[in-house]
Amino acid sequence: MTAWRLVACLLAAAPPLTAQGGFARLAGRVPPPALTAIDSILVAAHREGLPTEPLIEKAFEGGAKGVAPDKIVLAVSTSASQLRSARALLREAGESQATDPAEVIAVAAALARGLSPELVGQLTAVLPGEPTGPALHAVADLVGHRFAEDSSVDLIVAAAQAGLRGLRFLDVAAAAVQDLQRGRSHAAALAHVTSLLPNVPPPPRPAPAAVSRARRVQPGPERP
Amino acid sequence: MTHIDPLLHRVLDGESPSDDLTPPQREQFAALQSAVRLLAEAPAASVAARVMAEVRRPPRSLGHRVAQWLTERHAVTIAVRPVWSLALAAALAAIAVIPARGPGPVLGEQEGIAQFVGRFPGAKSVEVVGSFTDWRPGAVVLRDDDHDGIWRASVVLPVGEHEYMFVVDGERWITDPLAGRYLDDGFGRQNALLFVRPLAR
Repeated sequence: MTAWRLVACLLAAAPPLTAQGGFARLAGRVPPPALTAIDSILVAAHREGLPTEPLIEKAFEGGAKGVAPDKIVLAVSTSASQLRSARALLREAGESQATDPAEVIAVAAALARGLSPELVGQLTAVLPGEPTGPALHAVADLVGHRFAEDSSVDLIVAAAQAGLRGLRFLDVAAAAVQDLQRGRSHAAALAHVTSLLPNVPPPPRPAPAAVSRARRVQPGPERP
Repeated sequence: MTHIDPLLHRVLDGESPSDDLTPPQREQFAALQSAVRLLAEAPAASVAARVMAEVRRPPRSLGHRVAQWLTERHAVTIAVRPVWSLALAAALAAIAVIPARGPGPVLGEQEGIAQFVGRFPGAKSVEVVGSFTDWRPGAVVLRDDDHDGIWRASVVLPVGEHEYMFVVDGERWITDPLAGRYLDDGFGRQNALLFVRPLAR
């Protein structure tokens, strides 16, 4: 289906504007031709119980980057599909996780990074009731450096069994990638990092000067 | 007191020519003249007289005295214990080393620091736009204080996952080449992916 056909379908299925919750937020930040179609995607996602914030963010992103309206609609629609798939995967793993919007968003991001649904399901089964986002991204990091999918999942599962949780999974992946950069083979790097568990090195803390310089993010000025 | 011959007296006063003097009187005249020369070459006053003259001089004004004190050389001697010298040196070193900035923001438990660094030689402006700014430009501006083309910013962000891109000169969207973790943005580019960790202080 081409982008314009998709837009046409969405426009045809769009409910009245008064029913659209995200319309006011999108106005002024998204090209007007895309507004109605995006809003109909938001309404549909809301009815399905999917988190709508990532969809609004995607629309903002497209507007900020000056993307053509049809491409923004397509990207928002693709994001909605990823959220739908993520929720389906989580429902297979356990009903309680499926209601957590943060978890749905994390799994959708993992799918967007190219992880297969089977691999995602495997990891969510290892960490029932826990946030899986960092573990999924750790596997995605490893796969991105040409570690085999199965071996990557095995390493993160071993880290979980060694008691590591949350962002520490990213440290495990970072340690394996560093070993690669030091000249170890993929197999040797995996074996070495597995032998270190759970004592993989944490990332360096920000320098004191960087901390003292840090500013809070203030809303930027509106731009046309 | 010795009396001087009246003729010799008149010659000394210039009232008579020295030719009128007898040879003994001439010798006496020469001796008197040398005595006059000696007196003429002697100091005008004694040490005591000069001291008294100095004492009687009217006092100088306060401004004059201050100006004189400021312009004259003075020998200053400071007696300091070595331990205080070391303490002073340590304090000066600390002032030089500790940055002049404040202690920085107070972070919450669910906040951390994100550092953005990019090399953009010749750029007029660089900013970071991402999910943490609602993809709104202008919120995180990088700086290149030493004009070496390396732009930096350090910001407080909520703990967790964030997507972002650099925006150079307000129009060029550039993926952070140092991020190491990327996500297709759905528009044909890649967003950098950042994980912010809590920073306990």
